[in-house]
Amino acid sequence: MHERLSFHIKRDSFLHRLNPLTKLALTLALILLAFTFPWYWMPHLLALAAIIPLSLLGKVFREFMLTALRLIIPAAGFLFLMQAFFQPVGADVIFQFYFLDMTSESVLFAFRNAMRIVVMVSAFTLFLLTTHPSELMSDLTRRGLPGQFSYVIISTLQILPQMQTKAQTIISAQRSRGLDTESSFLKRAGSLIPLIGPLVFGSLVEVEERAIAIEARGFTSKHAKTSLHEIPDPAFDKSLRWVLFALIIASIGLNIWLS
Amino acid sequence: MAFVNIQNLTYKYPLTKEPVLKNINLQVQEGEFVSVIGPNGAGKSTLCYALAGFVPHFFKGEISGEIEVDGKLSSKSTLDEWVLNVGLAFQNPFNQISGAKYTVFEEIAFGLENIGVPRDEMKKRVEDAMSLTGISELADRSPYSLSGGQQQRVALTSILVMRPSLLVLDEPTSQMDPIGTREVFGVVRKMAEEGMTVMMVEHKVEWIANFADRVIALKDGQILLEGKPNEVLTSDVLVEHGFGVSRYTSTAREAKQRGLWKKNNLPVTLDEAVQGFKP
Repeated sequence: MHERLSFHIKRDSFLHRLNPLTKLALTLALILLAFTFPWYWMPHLLALAAIIPLSLLGKVFREFMLTALRLIIPAAGFLFLMQAFFQPVGADVIFQFYFLDMTSESVLFAFRNAMRIVVMVSAFTLFLLTTHPSELMSDLTRRGLPGQFSYVIISTLQILPQMQTKAQTIISAQRSRGLDTESSFLKRAGSLIPLIGPLVFGSLVEVEERAIAIEARGFTSKHAKTSLHEIPDPAFDKSLRWVLFALIIASIGLNIWLS
Repeated sequence: MAFVNIQNLTYKYPLTKEPVLKNINLQVQEGEFVSVIGPNGAGKSTLCYALAGFVPHFFKGEISGEIEVDGKLSSKSTLDEWVLNVGLAFQNPFNQISGAKYTVFEEIAFGLENIGVPRDEMKKRVEDAMSLTGISELADRSPYSLSGGQQQRVALTSILVMRPSLLVLDEPTSQMDPIGTREVFGVVRKMAEEGMTVMMVEHKVEWIANFADRVIALKDGQILLEGKPNEVLTSDVLVEHGFGVSRYTSTAREAKQRGLWKKNNLPVTLDEAVQGFKP
């Protein structure tokens, strides 16, 4: 099992070639516009006129739609129902379910909030689909993010699947010696307790050894770090970031001005 | 003046009652390949950590005596400076993979990134180190997808690429097959001939006999024996103290008692045994 905790799909597209920081800025801009722009249909417009075209531009339309259908739409749908029923606004009841009222105001309110969530999760999904985690981290480290911070992020992404594999190995080993994993839930839960020890203590020992190993390779060296891969950051990316920054400021400004 | 100079080194971990290393005195010359043998709990790994600066800088604990490498004292240095001069690779290869990199090539470059080697030089050094240890074909694989022996070679390469003047290896071939072991010993021998000083803890005595310049037998935190591989590895003292010896040595010792081994010296390797048993 060589699975990684990463959504990244290796393709060659406009979106993949953008500097990771630009993509991060784009993601933030989409989210902030959806939440702060003082126009009711903004999140809906962003989802249709920005998110979907971007997924086509990034050549990840199919993967993005799969995630959207399986995860984003159901979650947002649930959120919509909850808010539509429980938001106590408006008097114009359009639908009743026992004691729960759905008013036209609460429906509008819930629809916008659900779409905001859709935009937020979709923007992040697109970002993760088109950005390699190590590329993002080395770019951010180059810009001054502490090396320890990016190490924690990247190694967690890699080590968690390894821990899963290890847990599976321990379980298989114990099953082969008669561990009960198929009877009632409580019994199984009880029989898992002895497995936690080896996994947790083993992991603690590993942490110490790993600390030694990376220290031996100059991890805390006071030299300025260099990077094996050059991550391009052309003038286009820089200007695009300024445009996005201006959009965010304008949206927040409008929001404050109109309120 | 010796390149490595350990004077009266005594060390106790924070949570142990007894010292793990007791009054160790050891000198190693530049370019020498020294091998350390000893039973479990003899203090071999602790000696490695002491040379590599992790004792006491990482583990803390009580230390007395001095460790000097290349004219610098460990007590007057910090760990991040010390590791530039002394490289350490140890037994468990899985835990030596940084976890921060997605390919073997990047993994080996990790140390060079940390110490700020320019990109072009970095690529060249990683390629050279990989071809030296024979893992060039693994460059694009994920370090986690490799076998134990391959991971050990990656760990060794990751340290070699940093070009330390003293290389400390704690059982670097424990998960390797005989072919891998021979290649690693060959690489280490070559590094020693090019001037790198090597200190290697190893159980595989036949390989030590073939490749090392000197053997140190460690027991209960003290140096029991020290000398040329063939003298130390065939000594009766090792048997008395429960060290693992080569099967050829024990066979010949048995034969000697029955008058079947005519030579004075006992063999360590198969070749020596064959020579000795020839009528």
